[in-house]
Amino acid sequence: MIEILADRVVKTFGPTRALDRVDLAVPSGALWGVVGADSAGKTTLLRCIAGLLRVDAGRVLPGRAGQARLGYSQQGFHLYSDLTVEENVAFIGHLYGLSPAAVSAHADELLAFAGLSDRRSSLAGELSGGMQQKLTLVCSLLHHPPILLLDEPTTGVDPLSRLEFWDLVEKLHVAGSTILLASGYFDEVERCDHVVYLQRGRVLATGTPDDLRGAHSTLEAAFLEMTS
Amino acid sequence: MVALTILPDLWPMGPLALVTPRTVADRRQVAIAEPPTTDASAVLAPVVAHVRRPGWLRLRSLVRKEFIEIRRDRRTLALIVAVPIFLLVIFGYAAQFEVHHIATELVGNDSLPLRTALAEHGAFAVENGVAPNVAAAENDIRDGHVAAAVVVNREGRPTRVLIDGSNLLVAMTAERKLAALQQGSATPTPHVTVLYNPSLRSTIFMVPGLIGIIMTQVALVLTALGVVRERERGTIEQLMITPVTKLELMIGKTIPYLLIALCDLCVVLLVSWQIFGVPVRGSVLLLFGEAFLFLTATLGMGLLISTLARTQLQAMQMSVFVQLPQMLLSGIIFPLAAMPWSVRWLGYLLPLTYFASVARGVMLKGVGLSGLWPQTVALAVLGLVYVGLAVVRFRKTLD
Repeated sequence: MIEILADRVVKTFGPTRALDRVDLAVPSGALWGVVGADSAGKTTLLRCIAGLLRVDAGRVLPGRAGQARLGYSQQGFHLYSDLTVEENVAFIGHLYGLSPAAVSAHADELLAFAGLSDRRSSLAGELSGGMQQKLTLVCSLLHHPPILLLDEPTTGVDPLSRLEFWDLVEKLHVAGSTILLASGYFDEVERCDHVVYLQRGRVLATGTPDDLRGAHSTLEAAFLEMTS
Repeated sequence: MVALTILPDLWPMGPLALVTPRTVADRRQVAIAEPPTTDASAVLAPVVAHVRRPGWLRLRSLVRKEFIEIRRDRRTLALIVAVPIFLLVIFGYAAQFEVHHIATELVGNDSLPLRTALAEHGAFAVENGVAPNVAAAENDIRDGHVAAAVVVNREGRPTRVLIDGSNLLVAMTAERKLAALQQGSATPTPHVTVLYNPSLRSTIFMVPGLIGIIMTQVALVLTALGVVRERERGTIEQLMITPVTKLELMIGKTIPYLLIALCDLCVVLLVSWQIFGVPVRGSVLLLFGEAFLFLTATLGMGLLISTLARTQLQAMQMSVFVQLPQMLLSGIIFPLAAMPWSVRWLGYLLPLTYFASVARGVMLKGVGLSGLWPQTVALAVLGLVYVGLAVVRFRKTLD
């Protein structure tokens, strides 16, 4: 069953065509990675799939109608710096319609999962970049969504925190979540089941990391070969 | 080899990425589009030249950069051009200390010579009807139908004048003009009674209007900034992915400022009463009810600004752009009746115009709802219009 879909998606901003007939179909329980340089269209693609942007042509799933089944973590830290970890979690949980008891139970479980239990009283603005990304992930998981869209979750995060974050992603993958992750880091998407190369709004190639790597030593080398 | 250490920063690669000579060469081509070179001095030479630029060149760069930013920020540029022109026009027309056409009625008896004398004097606009007695005239002044009433005896001579003291400029002009009218006349000077503010204290005149300005500050500026701050920080995207509706989001963003503004009203009323001796002669409940309508309309304006501004700076500039006319055109300082229609119509679009009238009516004159329904209806209509426009513009998607 296809959980995440982009079917001939076109999105323009004025004269710029940010997405040009992009196709991808992520089956249930899979971990897919979209990789490309800056301004390749990764964020726009995820926003379209999340229903935050209207597509000019084509079709997306889950889109706006399926937002209840979606956990979305946007690029950078965009929670409330002047609220504590616990207050941020409670706020987002209540917006998802969870009762205070449910929020409390989920928060305990998810903060422990993300290793943030001992920082629950810290102001979110005082957390390290890696912890802020984990908090963003926790907030996007509060309503137990089966589908996760993660937009460059480790950009600007130190190497150790990146590894910790990827451990969490892999645990979610093993638990059955369907995940589409955008990244500018080629070494990261090696861990995905399936990789999509995006270049100037177009799908350059798609396949398993082994397929795409081919004779090259890394995905990055293969990508550079294609774009040179 | 120096070039190899610099170039990885030009490419969006993570610290875990494996850097190979082949990829570095590729990166160089993409990032700087120049033929490969291993000569470190060639790479560093332009940098050294920049460091040695004289101070005035750096200053020129700073000034030029500011102008480029201003030029590209269309909204700010529009405000920079529009605000001085707008303020000049508003001040030029609205700041009229000399009041004309003071609504006046005769009491007891009609007198054509007196009507003619008052009308010819220019400051008074005499109503057609005649109030039967002083009590009826006082009611008309209380409800704001007229600002002055002249009691006329059977011989057609003025014996007493009642003046609405709640509007300082009107009262002072009426007193002065009547004294001028009386000069050279053989008839005895009529007794002048200034109602609601007998000593013509400017504090009593200003405080009800200032209450409106203080609440505007909270409702308009904080609401506009609150929403724009969400957009600037990027948190609004996180909110939009949740099931929260745009109506819930708007109401949720406005209720705190509504409550804060109502708390401000309590504090300001207490301070006005205790320190300045400005009473609330009418119903406090009615004042709060009217304040609720006024704040709804003002919050709507704040939300509307938040849909137009991209940054907090723009929101602040737009708020000032709206606030200044509110002070000048709402009748708080200069009576609307003294302004030409070319700017007066703007005053009728502002919630503060009606609330200032309500606040003076309730606080100084003790007017009830029956005397304030036109202002109440106007505040409700403006609330619907401004909140409606804000809802329409407040789109849920980022498009």
